[in-house]
This record gives sequence, structure tokens and C-alpha cells, in this order.
Amino acid sequence: MEAENTINILLVDDEVKFLAAVSDRLTIKGFSVTTATNGEAAIEAASKGGFDVAVVDLQMPGTDGAQVLKILKQKHEFIEIIMLTGHATVDSAVECTKLGAFKYLEKPYDFDKLIEVLKDAYHLRMQKKFENNAKRMAAIQKLSMGQSPLGILKALAKFDDGKK
Amino acid sequence: MDNAKDLFGYDSLAFFGKVNASISHELKNVMAIISETAGLLGDLSDMASTGTPIEPDMLKSCTNSIIEEIQRGFLTIRQMNRFAHSTDSPAEAVNLMDVLDLTINLSGYLSFSGKVCLNPCKNVSPTVSTCPFLLQAIVYQAMVYAFKTTGPGAEITISLQARDDGGWRILFSGFSGSEFQVFPDVATSAMATSIGVAIRFDKTDDRLVLDVPLAIESTTNPSVAPGI
Repeated sequence: MEAENTINILLVDDEVKFLAAVSDRLTIKGFSVTTATNGEAAIEAASKGGFDVAVVDLQMPGTDGAQVLKILKQKHEFIEIIMLTGHATVDSAVECTKLGAFKYLEKPYDFDKLIEVLKDAYHLRMQKKFENNAKRMAAIQKLSMGQSPLGILKALAKFDDGKK
Repeated sequence: MDNAKDLFGYDSLAFFGKVNASISHELKNVMAIISETAGLLGDLSDMASTGTPIEPDMLKSCTNSIIEEIQRGFLTIRQMNRFAHSTDSPAEAVNLMDVLDLTINLSGYLSFSGKVCLNPCKNVSPTVSTCPFLLQAIVYQAMVYAFKTTGPGAEITISLQARDDGGWRILFSGFSGSEFQVFPDVATSAMATSIGVAIRFDKTDDRLVLDVPLAIESTTNPSVAPGI
């Protein structure tokens, strides 16, 4: 995988050995992986930006996976989130989907399936970013007609604020 | 004893289900670690076969991790088996240390569990004739309420004290008054009454007190707890 195409992953689980093994395997496959052992650390790591996809365990002490999902989706518009659980229920799957999870995988899962889902999530993220950029470009073109440079910047800021 | 049999109803089944769900969650985590670590060994083998040098320490770390997780899985299954057999009889002679030890381990599988320390009971075997399953359910519920109220930082200390009438007193330190706005709930109270266990909160020392009679049959008035 070329460096510019490396998929940046935030991997969150309170099972340290699981985290280490999955992180090593994903790194071997060419992904860039950052790990966090709890929800608070995950939110802190994500605040520094740069993640394409987060893989989050649902059941964790303290801030659980559903709360992490909710906060990350609120704060980072384009991040895609894959939920992992050792205790899958229809209710938790529905809740995660409502909160915007890209996929919900039950442990233990097939590693190749995780790779496939990670790539799908990354493509969706890129597609959303591309569509957003296209809208932004169209807005710039529309706004720039007959506007001063300062007026264009103000209008663009308003456009971006409206998306939050 | 008939009351204890009656209590093997919905609330008991709910407790049994909850514990088994938490055990299955633990086992799935164990399996996931073994699966990923074995997968990593496979990836490293593939790399080695294409000429990439692999550190022997990495292989050793992977195999150690798998061995440790298998031991963790065995321990979990042993506890699951002990728990399953606690339903064998509505009343039997049990060592309270064994009951407490198992219940502490079972509560440890909850995602919101805190720390629990069981003080050893030296030179004496704290044996009573009771329904081990219902006693476990009561102790488990007490810990669940403490963990839920305090969060993962909860630290509970459990100790045993012999009573003059031959029964035993289980003392939980590390509880706060807020737990007792919700504990014991109706189901737990009914379970306690059925096996003659008296539950109260000792406000002076901030302790939860469970008085366990020497035998279920010896209980005359289970709803009234004798003073400390």
C-alpha cells in the first residue's frame, strides 16, 4: 500500500492482548494503527485528527463503545466507525446503526472480513469527502460571482458552519 | 426450604441468564485473542517464508499469549461449571469462602466491575447449610449495585465474622449510602427472606451486612436482622 493511500485506523478495546494482536496484523497488512484501551483515550486520540476509520469495542468500562461512537460521529464528520462486540444483541446492533456505525462485527470474526469492512468504510469516507468537496467547490463558484474576496470567505464560512 | 424452591423462578432464571451472558462474553474475548494471535503467527510465517527476518521473541510472545488465554478460558469454564452446579440442590452444606470467591469471580466478568478484595478466614471453615445459588444471587446483586453506582473505580472489601448463634456475618466495606436507596430490590429481598438471610446497612461503619443463618431450617424470623 502506498504511503499516501495508507488507511489510518483508531483501534479501541480494553482487552490489551487483543488490541496488540490485531494492531500487529493490520500493520503487517499495510494499515497505520493507533490503539486506545478505553473510551476516554479514544476520544482524546481522535481529537488530534487524522483517522479514517475507528474500530471500537462496544463493551468497555467507563465510557463504553456506544458513547464513543456517538461522540466521534458528532465531532468528526467523516470518520467511519466499525463496532466490535463479544455479546451481540439485536438491540445493540440497532442502537449502533442509529448512532451511525458503518458496521457491527461479532467477536471472534474472520480477519479477512475485518480487512474487507475496513476498506469499504474507507471508500465510503473518501466518497463522502469527495461529495462534500464538490459541493464546496460549487458553492465557491456561485459565491464568487460579483463578490469581494472577503465576502467570499464570509459566505464560505457560513456554508461550512451550516454543515455542522 | 420450600421457599427456596419457590424462588427458583423467574428472578433466579434472570440471574442465571445474566451470569451466563457475562461468561459467554468473557469466553468470546478469550477466543478472539487466540484467533487473532494465531492469525498473527500465520502472518509472521508467511513473512518468514518470503525471506523477511522474524524476531524469535515475537514468536515466543505470541505462543505465550495463546497459552495464557487458554488457561484463562479453562479457569472461566471451571467457574461456569461451579456456578451451574450451584443449582443442584435448594439447600446444602457450603463453605461461605467458596461461595464468595466464586461470586466475586463471576462479577469480575461484568464490563463495569470494580475491585473486590476477599479477606481470608483463618483457621476456621465458615460452613452453613443454605441455598448456594440464592446466596450467590444476593451477593452478586449487591456488587452489581455497588459497581453501577460507583463505576469502575469501585473497591469493595468482603470479610466474614462468626456470630454467637453459629451463623455467619458477611461484611461488605466500600459501599456508600446511595447504593441502599436501590438495594436490596424486591426480588433480592424475597430471595434473602427465603433462605433466612437478613440484609441491612450499618451506617456507623458504612458497611453492608448480610447475616447468614447456620441452616435455612433454623431461621425463625428472617426479616429481622440481629444487631452487630
